[in-house]
Amino acid sequence: MTPNEYPGKYPGQLSRVNERKWQSMVLLLLGLVFIPRAMNAQTPSDALMMRSKNICVLFSYDMGTFDRYWEGSYLRSNETIATVDRNTVLPMAAIGIFDDLNFYISLPYVKTESSIPNGGKFAGARGFQDIGFALKYRAVHTDLGTGKFTALATAGFSTPFTNYLSDYRPYSIGSGAPEFSLRAIGQYEHSSQFYLRASIAHLWRGYTEAERDYYYNNGSYYTAWMDVPNAWTYEAIFGKWLFDTSLKLELSYTTLNSTSGDDIRAYNAAQPTNKVEFDRVGFAAQYYLKSVKGLGFVAYHNRVVNGRNVPKFSNTGIGLTYQFNVIKKQTDTTDGQ
Amino acid sequence: MDNKIFTLFMALGLLLLTSCEKDLPKYTPYEGYAYSELDVDGGNWIPVLEESGASIEVPVPDATDSETYLNELEELKQAMSDITSDQKRAITYWTNNPAVRWNEIALELIAKYNIIPGPNADASYTLPNPANPEGPPAFPFAHPPYACRALAYMSVAQFDGLISAWHHKYQYNRAAPYVLDGDIDYAYEENDIPSYPSDGAVIARASKNILTAMFPLEADYLQQMEDEHLESLLLSGGNVMSDITAGTTIGDAVAETALTRASNDGMKDAQTPKAVSDSIKQAAYDRFGWAWDNLEIPERPVGLTPLFSQVTMWSIDDVESVRPVPPPALDSQEFLDDVEVLKDYAQNMTDEKRRLANFWQDGLGTYTPPGHWNRIANEFIVQYRLNPLQTTRTLAYMNMAIMDSGISCWDAKYYYHYPRPIQMIDGFETIAGTPNFPSYTSGHSVFSAAASEVLAYIFPEEAEQMRAWAEEAAISRVYGGIHWSFDATVGTDQGREVAQYTLNRARADGADN
Repeated sequence: MTPNEYPGKYPGQLSRVNERKWQSMVLLLLGLVFIPRAMNAQTPSDALMMRSKNICVLFSYDMGTFDRYWEGSYLRSNETIATVDRNTVLPMAAIGIFDDLNFYISLPYVKTESSIPNGGKFAGARGFQDIGFALKYRAVHTDLGTGKFTALATAGFSTPFTNYLSDYRPYSIGSGAPEFSLRAIGQYEHSSQFYLRASIAHLWRGYTEAERDYYYNNGSYYTAWMDVPNAWTYEAIFGKWLFDTSLKLELSYTTLNSTSGDDIRAYNAAQPTNKVEFDRVGFAAQYYLKSVKGLGFVAYHNRVVNGRNVPKFSNTGIGLTYQFNVIKKQTDTTDGQ
Repeated sequence: MDNKIFTLFMALGLLLLTSCEKDLPKYTPYEGYAYSELDVDGGNWIPVLEESGASIEVPVPDATDSETYLNELEELKQAMSDITSDQKRAITYWTNNPAVRWNEIALELIAKYNIIPGPNADASYTLPNPANPEGPPAFPFAHPPYACRALAYMSVAQFDGLISAWHHKYQYNRAAPYVLDGDIDYAYEENDIPSYPSDGAVIARASKNILTAMFPLEADYLQQMEDEHLESLLLSGGNVMSDITAGTTIGDAVAETALTRASNDGMKDAQTPKAVSDSIKQAAYDRFGWAWDNLEIPERPVGLTPLFSQVTMWSIDDVESVRPVPPPALDSQEFLDDVEVLKDYAQNMTDEKRRLANFWQDGLGTYTPPGHWNRIANEFIVQYRLNPLQTTRTLAYMNMAIMDSGISCWDAKYYYHYPRPIQMIDGFETIAGTPNFPSYTSGHSVFSAAASEVLAYIFPEEAEQMRAWAEEAAISRVYGGIHWSFDATVGTDQGREVAQYTLNRARADGADN
């Protein structure tokens, strides 16, 4: 009766289905507060690093919605669910362990519901989704031509924080499975402050436990465990710093492809075993306040333009980031900015 | 330093991943086993549709010292010596109680076809059409009434077929190949049951024929399964080809009898035109002052199978004789109190209530509640090591009781035409999908109560558990927000009452003697 997981599902989670959203959110949100770019808050999927002993906290609000979804490759509407809204509050922290090694932790709170009227009268869902951790390592940071080349790798892990029901699409707040991800990131920034970034990541997803012990996935399964498909995700970002490195604008293109899974059946509910694919474009802006040191704002908009077994999801978010140097406060060192 | 931390982190992550690969079972995990008993008099039991175990004739088998038979043995040994690993896997899969496997095949097809047609662009709905099974929408829509009927006909044909097989087995007493020839190793536990005709072949052919009629688009798949099954009967060392041929003869005969009944049981008229549906609704409104409305968008013009109540029952002559008492009036205190109960469940949903609502939901895309009880039966059948005859007896009576109870439930649903909670409580939201038919009584409650009574009879040690599960399935619908409390409690009583008619029949079939 209902559709499925959407790409915007895991904002803030360390690279889940929704890499791009997460990325843009975190990135955007975490981002900007500081002066030199190298100190800006970052996300597990961008090329920014925070210096040792710095912490950046992010708090963002994301409004997502869809009124159509792909059933297999067929784009349809469904008045049983009408328009589904998904709102997310994301607290996240980035910690500079070393200048070249950052740690991230995040825990989104998600709320879903259908617009009224709808034909299904289903209750929405809400709750804390998955707690995510990531480590990002900067392996290369060097001058190249008239710009700089940076290469990084990120390892992430996330797992459900509550016993939310993943087998309740499209209202379920997450996929309900642990995920381990490895991401490689490369960025070249020209001296004109235009930059191009690309990343590739593989997402290993575990199993999610349904509350029924039989389901159909191109055949019978006599178990409550559902295999959430692994996925590859690719991303390309074109960005530019403006106004003395206080405003950053980015255009992004993200694609995700599950490596297995089944299609949503005709007019039937989605389930965590579905083969998810999507292409998404996005725009993001980050602004670092000059007047209040360490404070920044982010705003972004993403939309899925093509997909399989996903909602035609669009989401808009705003957020606030604040960065500070923990050691400095205690010891008065001059590390950091 | 940095590198070491990072490497360690990744190594731990990968270790975690590889250590949690799960094996997800696709069928009941059992292999061949020694039967708890043989039921040598089973050929004298009273069949459901056939006259007796003797009424289907098979040729007199060749003697075991005849040249014909000896040639069959040689052919068998030759085939067994060339066996492939795929064929060995098939033998392990099919086991020496293959009725459970065919039941699982039926459940899988039910889950595959339990897909409700969606609306067309002009807000109309197209119904599946057996004359054009490809659709769209594909035929059939294997909803609970369709599912319970398919399971009943298949199980009855299997049971009747095995009574016939048992009759001829002990009439002719032709021993199995592995008994007659020391060079032949049987793939399963050896027993003294004569091998002519092959009981496995009866099951394969009868099941394939019934399921092909019920799921016409699956004809190729079902033929492939039958071929694999028949081949594994041979390669197991348990049958020569003439055993199998006699078995398929019986399978064809019992399937024909069952399908003849099915073609005239009234099911083809159960999904009525809108005019008939409207008059049924109006009659209820005139009688009681209420009527159920479909609240889907766009509205579905006809509820699910309004005249399923008119389908011929297995063990009851008059469906109205088991009709439950009327539900509470909409202005009664009992009704108003139940509104509060439903609101309270919805507002104070607990993990346990949610778990039960989901565990027993068996909604669209699944094997339905009748399928769930077949799965439960299958698990107890192998746990208690029932032989094939007892297995099909269990499944036949259980599915007859389930179908009778469903017919009775649908009689109540459309006679009383009682509204659902979402219709009566403003802004009410549910965690389960509200089905396209009236509320009173709950189908889950009635199906489950009937099934549990038959299983309690077959497995007396499990009676308490069976009845507790039936009550759990019933109340789960109230937790899900799609049924009133009295839909569940009255439905449970209704299912238990209806099942007694089947049980009276079971107790008189000769098996308990």
